[in-house]
Amino acid sequence: MSDASIRQVDGELCLSGVIDYSTGPALREEGGRLIRAAQATELVLDCSAVEHSSSVGLSLLLAFMRDAQKHGKSLVIRALPVEMRQIAQVSRLIELLPLRD
Amino acid sequence: MSADNAYAVELKGVSFYRGTRSIFKNVDIRIPRGKVTGIMGPSGCGKTTLLRLIGAQLRPAEGEIWVNGRNLPTLSRRELFDMRKQMGVLFQSGALFTDLDVFENVAFPLRVHTKLPEEMIRDIVLMKLEAVGLRGAIELMPDELSGGMKRRVALARAIALDPQILMYDEPFVGQDPIAMGVLVRLIRLLNDALGITSIVVSHDLAETASIADYLYVVGDSQVLGQGTPDELMNSDNPRIRQFMQGLADGPVPFHYPAPSYRDDLLGAR
Repeated sequence: MSDASIRQVDGELCLSGVIDYSTGPALREEGGRLIRAAQATELVLDCSAVEHSSSVGLSLLLAFMRDAQKHGKSLVIRALPVEMRQIAQVSRLIELLPLRD
Repeated sequence: MSADNAYAVELKGVSFYRGTRSIFKNVDIRIPRGKVTGIMGPSGCGKTTLLRLIGAQLRPAEGEIWVNGRNLPTLSRRELFDMRKQMGVLFQSGALFTDLDVFENVAFPLRVHTKLPEEMIRDIVLMKLEAVGLRGAIELMPDELSGGMKRRVALARAIALDPQILMYDEPFVGQDPIAMGVLVRLIRLLNDALGITSIVVSHDLAETASIADYLYVVGDSQVLGQGTPDELMNSDNPRIRQFMQGLADGPVPFHYPAPSYRDDLLGAR
């Protein structure tokens, strides 16, 4: 089983580890819970600790964006790894992602 | 152990027979990681069989087939099932499920192999269809698609699970020039942008040579030649020249072996 987590660190959401088909479902749930429970209305999702990600990682970002929107919060994504950026480019997601580097 | 990490797939001394007829005899093929490798050869030379060997749908009579550092003939059924997730195949026919719409065709491997929630399956299906330019076609049934569109949907399905190795079985057959151009561009894009190892099995010389980084020419149960497209084009091996230049006659004769024509027509029977 691959290892991955999403945690709140210093007021930011940190996505880390290997994001794939086995780790995706749990990350989806945990991230959704953290976004719902967050006090802040401006959330930052830091991806610098992602070691490896398939398309599942991009789907997670989209799911978290939908969660934030639903709860009237804003979300920015920081330090998207090259691998995720490449998948985003091929599927033309780059313009849709609120990236801040 | 194999294992030069530079190669995603390595065949070592592979032999395969259909009955007593040998399809491959002691063949060595190495597929460089992250590149587009073309496997070319006349129809019936065993190209599709080669893909089935790499995809572990067939077992060689002899030899080793290393995929990502594991020798397939030694793996258990369970391990092979996992290995296959790393490989996508675009079948010659497209092989779409005719009673499922485009969305469900692409979603199918995600439903079978993962436990992703529906919203994530939807994201990934839309991402893959956007990549092949057919996100707008999700509600169409396969029989409402042109041949080129079918193949693109099949490609979206082949990459649904983010395979590390993508195999194309005669991707250009029966495609009009525009659809062919679209496919060539997509194969190259997926390869370069996602670092996929691509294996293109084809007898369409111009298209395959135009996208391949490296080519193998197979025939007569063996590897006749290998090299970059330029190297093979300029080969002085007559068999390779015949294939690369599309000459009807040469070491591979135009005529299937037959008794004397005169005897056949005029001789006593």
